[in-house]
Amino acid sequence: MLSIDALYLIFFTTGFTVGFGHCIGMCGPLVVSFSLNLKGENIFISHGLYNAGRILTYAVLGGLMGIAGSFTVVSARIAGLQQAALIVAGMLIIVMGLAMIEWLPFGKYVKREGKTGGILARGFYKLSAVRSPYAFFPIGLLLGLLPCGPVYTALIATAGAGIEAPNALYGFLSGAGLMAVFGLGTVPALLLAAKLAGLGWLTSRRLIYRIGSVLMILVGVFYVIRGIRY
Amino acid sequence: MDPIKTDRALRNRTVIPRIFYFFLPVLMLLLLPRMFPPGVGIPAAGAAEIMTDCSIHAGSCSRRLPGIEITLDIAPKPVRAMRDLLFRISLAGEAPDRTPYIDLGMPAMKMGPNRVILKKTSRNVYEGKGVIVRCPSGRRTWQATVTIPGRGKADFVFDVVY
Repeated sequence: MLSIDALYLIFFTTGFTVGFGHCIGMCGPLVVSFSLNLKGENIFISHGLYNAGRILTYAVLGGLMGIAGSFTVVSARIAGLQQAALIVAGMLIIVMGLAMIEWLPFGKYVKREGKTGGILARGFYKLSAVRSPYAFFPIGLLLGLLPCGPVYTALIATAGAGIEAPNALYGFLSGAGLMAVFGLGTVPALLLAAKLAGLGWLTSRRLIYRIGSVLMILVGVFYVIRGIRY
Repeated sequence: MDPIKTDRALRNRTVIPRIFYFFLPVLMLLLLPRMFPPGVGIPAAGAAEIMTDCSIHAGSCSRRLPGIEITLDIAPKPVRAMRDLLFRISLAGEAPDRTPYIDLGMPAMKMGPNRVILKKTSRNVYEGKGVIVRCPSGRRTWQATVTIPGRGKADFVFDVVY
């Protein structure tokens, strides 16, 4: 049987390798959307906070797996939440895409009514205000729930480690630690994608933002479809 | 300028977007599932080239390695993702020195290591529990690679039910 130190190393290297393969393909559109919406500002702080939120969610899921010692028991209970996260992620990207180029009357409408208007106006105002770096932590917490094959696979291994834990606390801590390390391993790939999409290196960005907005809306629709069908 | 007309115009500018934003998600929720019905899916890169070679829902599948035949069975059937599954390997021929194991993965996508540890239950029969996870991309084709230490590996490619 592998020691816990060896497991940490395996989880980190697994996170690192799937980060550059799977995560860039599946979650890359999200971080690219965030970067485009930031328009070159606070890339590392915002994405650092997003990743911190995501890792915290992974750790909590890992802890639960460690206590339960069963992947299927926990995953069955969070399936609805994951579907909701997928749909919310899609909606978030669509709103950011619309807000970025001020398509429709959205931008002006929100600026005029955002702080004092109705629930709808306030909701859109908050969603369009995700340029604030602090908004990225709760977004990371929520989107850490996104259904993802490699995360599931890591959670299976975490549940396996939980079976061997002498008590529930040890199971929780080891599960949380392993998933946190796995999440840390995925960070370099996502930060790289975020930085490349930050467009700080471009002098003329107007056209890129317009194209980016259309792509964001399409990606958002794709996420919503996946969420509905999940 | 007529103050009544101005007031009406301002009210319209406030109400119309509200109606639009209310109906946009509702329309999306109603129309999109019709545009992409379940089972049709959005084709994934490389998906067309991946062929299954094992009807695991119908029964067990066999492969030959030099001097040994490997039969894989998975229960319960149909084989569903995100469920506890029992993997059974039956060997015919020369018995291996060490216990076989199964690695689960997708042929077209790196999913991280997912190994089923097997235990010997009777002569040349090994069993272990595992889970095949659900890929949010909608791809259903999975691969079980059975490793017989010192003898070789055999791949079984099959579809799972989501």
